[in-house]
Amino acid sequence: MSDPRPHLRRRLAALTAAGLLLTGVACTSTATDSGSVRVGLLVSLSGTYATVGVDMQRGFRLYLDTHDGKLGGRKVDLVVADEGDGPATAVPAAQKLLERDQVVALTGLVGGATVDKVQTLTTQRKVPLLGANARPAFAPVGGKPRDLAYTWHTSYNSDEPGIAIAEYVRAQVGDGQVYAIGPDYQGGYDELRGFTDTFTRLGGKLANPDGRTLFTPFPATENFLPYLNKAAETKPKAVYTFYAGAAAVAFVKQYAQSDLADVPLYAAGFLTEGSVLTAQGSAATGIRNVLNYSPTLANQANQDFVAAWSAAGHSGQPTTFAMASYDAAAVLDRALTAVNGEVSGEKLNAAIGQVGRVVSPRGDWQFDPTEHRPVQRWYLREVRNDGPVLSNVLVQDLTTLPAS
Amino acid sequence: MRVDAYLIPAVDGVAYGLLLAIAAAGLTVAFGAGGVLNLAHGTLIAAGGYVAAATSSGTWPSLAAAVALAAGVGAAGGGVLAAATAALQGRGHLDQALLTFGVALVGADLLTAAYGSDTLRPRLPEVLEATVRIAGHRYPVDRLAVLGVAVAVVAAGYVVLHRTRAGRLIRATVDDRAMVAGIGVNPRLVDAAVLVAAGALAGLAGALTTPILGVGPHTADTALLLSLIIVVCGGLGSVPGALTAALAVGVVQTVGVTSFPALAPYLLIGAMAVVLLARRTSLPTGASA
Repeated sequence: MSDPRPHLRRRLAALTAAGLLLTGVACTSTATDSGSVRVGLLVSLSGTYATVGVDMQRGFRLYLDTHDGKLGGRKVDLVVADEGDGPATAVPAAQKLLERDQVVALTGLVGGATVDKVQTLTTQRKVPLLGANARPAFAPVGGKPRDLAYTWHTSYNSDEPGIAIAEYVRAQVGDGQVYAIGPDYQGGYDELRGFTDTFTRLGGKLANPDGRTLFTPFPATENFLPYLNKAAETKPKAVYTFYAGAAAVAFVKQYAQSDLADVPLYAAGFLTEGSVLTAQGSAATGIRNVLNYSPTLANQANQDFVAAWSAAGHSGQPTTFAMASYDAAAVLDRALTAVNGEVSGEKLNAAIGQVGRVVSPRGDWQFDPTEHRPVQRWYLREVRNDGPVLSNVLVQDLTTLPAS
Repeated sequence: MRVDAYLIPAVDGVAYGLLLAIAAAGLTVAFGAGGVLNLAHGTLIAAGGYVAAATSSGTWPSLAAAVALAAGVGAAGGGVLAAATAALQGRGHLDQALLTFGVALVGADLLTAAYGSDTLRPRLPEVLEATVRIAGHRYPVDRLAVLGVAVAVVAAGYVVLHRTRAGRLIRATVDDRAMVAGIGVNPRLVDAAVLVAAGALAGLAGALTTPILGVGPHTADTALLLSLIIVVCGGLGSVPGALTAALAVGVVQTVGVTSFPALAPYLLIGAMAVVLLARRTSLPTGASA
C-alpha cells in the first residue's frame, strides 16, 4: 500500500520539471522567433453587444483558419479579450493586451465609447488600432485634435448609411414627405442626422410635425405602436429609421401591425442585420435598407467568404460585423507581408498605410489617406427569401463614400 | 377624426396595461399573500419567455405546450424561492430583497448563458400574427388575444381568492397565522403554495408578453421595474389596486408618450410620484418588524 507512493511522487516531480522546462523553451522560442506575431482581439463576449462581438471574432478567425493561421507569412498568436458593455470593462482589458501580452496590433472593438478611450492608449504606445466596428466622432483632448496616425477602421462612420440612401429615397417619394424616427442616443442621432441632413439638402421634406426627427426613449421603449400610429396621422409617403438589437425586433414586428404597414420602410441596414432578422421573421419582408455589405453580393471574394462561413458551421449568413473583422485580418495580412524582420507597432502602422486596394467580400476598397477609414461602395438591400432563409438581398449600388 | 385619434391609443393603452397587469400579478400575490418581496420576479418572467420561445413553433398545440411549460418553469422557480426564503422567516423584507436579488442576478446570467444574448421571440400561429380593423385602424390580433387572456386570469384569480377554500386559507394566513395553524394547516405550507402560484403567474406572463416585446438579456430588469412601479402605485399587495395601476401605466405609456414626447422618459416615474404624494398615507410595512 505504501510502496507505490515514492514512485508516484518521483514521477510527478519529473513531470513537473519537464513541464517547467518545456514552458521555458516555449517562452524563449516566442521571444526570439520573429516568425510569429501576437495580435489582440478586443470584442464584447458578454453584455448587450455580445452577439456583435461573437460575430466579429468569428469573422477574424475565419480569415486565419482559411489562411493556415498565418498573416503575412507569420504564425499568429491571437489573444482574445472581453470588451464587455463599454469602457469600464474594455479599458483594463485593452491595457492587459498592450502591456502584458505586448500585442503588435489591436483589432475588434464593438462600441464607439470603447474606441474613444482605447484610441489614446494605443496612440501613446504606437500600436496600430485597427477597429472593425463603431467609429465615433473623436472629441479633442486637452484642446488638441486627436492624433489619428495610429487609428484605422475597416468599418464606416455612423452617419454614412443615411447619407448613402437619402438620394434614393428622395427619388422614390417624389413630392411626398418622409417620417424620420429613431432611438434617443448617440448612435440614433448620428444615423438619423446622416439621412435627414442629406435628404432635406436634396429638397426632401420631413413629415414630422416640427420638421425634426422623433427620438423614442432608449432603451426604455419597446412598445412602438403608439409612436407608429401617431406617425401614420401625418400621412407620410415613406418612413426612415434606425434601430438595432432588441429594439429592432420590436420595431419591425409592430410596424407590420400598425397603420403604417402599407407605407414603405427604409432603414440603416442594422435594423435587419444578423440574428435580429430571424426573430423578426416575415414581418421584415420588403424592408429596403442600406449597408456596405450584402451576403448576396456576386463577387468572387464574397462567394468564397460566404462558403467558408457556412463550412465553418456558423448558422445564418455572415453579417457586416463579421465581414469588417475578416477584412481587418486581411489588412494585417497585407501589411505584415510588407514588414521585414522583427515586427514593431511603428513598422506595422507604416505598412498599414501602404496596403492600397483591399480585395474584400464587400467589393474592393481602400483607406482614405487622412481619415483612415474605408472609401467604399454602399448598397441598397431588400429583405426577401433567398432560398429557404430570409436575407438582405442586394438590389442595387447606391454610392461611394466618403465622396472625394 | 378627433375621436379616432384617441380611440386606438386608448385601446392600446388598455391592452398594454393588461399585459403589464399579468406581469405584475405574480409580484403582488407573492408580496400580499406570501409576505415575500420577490426581486427575482423579472427573472422568472424572462425564464418563462425563453422557455416559450424555445417551445413554440407557430402551431396551436406548440403554443399551448409553450404556455404550460412556461407556467411550470415559473412555478418551479417559485418553489425554489419559497424554500430559500423560508430560511429567512421573521428576518424582514430587506433580507428577502437581498436574497431574491442575488437569485435574480445569478438566474439572469444562467439564462443568458443558456439562450445567448440574442433577443428571441415565441412564434405565434398565423391568425394571431395578423391584424384586424378597428374604426378604420389596423390593430394587432396578438394584443387583443393577450387582452382576453388577461381578463380571464384576473377573473380566475378573483374567484380563487374569494370563492374557494384555498383562497380563504390564503387570506386567513395573511390576517392571522396562529389561527390558521390552530385549524391544523401549516401556514408555511400556505406561503410556499402562494409563492409557487406567483411563480407560475410570472412564467405565464413571460409566455404571453414576449411574443409582443421579445425576450432577451434586458427582459428581467424591464419586467421587474415595471412590475415594481405597478405594485407601488397600486398599493402593496392589493390585486385590484395593481390592476388599476397597470391600466394607468399602460395608458401613460401609450397616450402619454405620444402626447408629450419630450417628457416621455419621465412620465412614468412622474406619474408614480404623483400617486405616492396624492395617497398621503405611509406605505404599509407588511408583517415584518
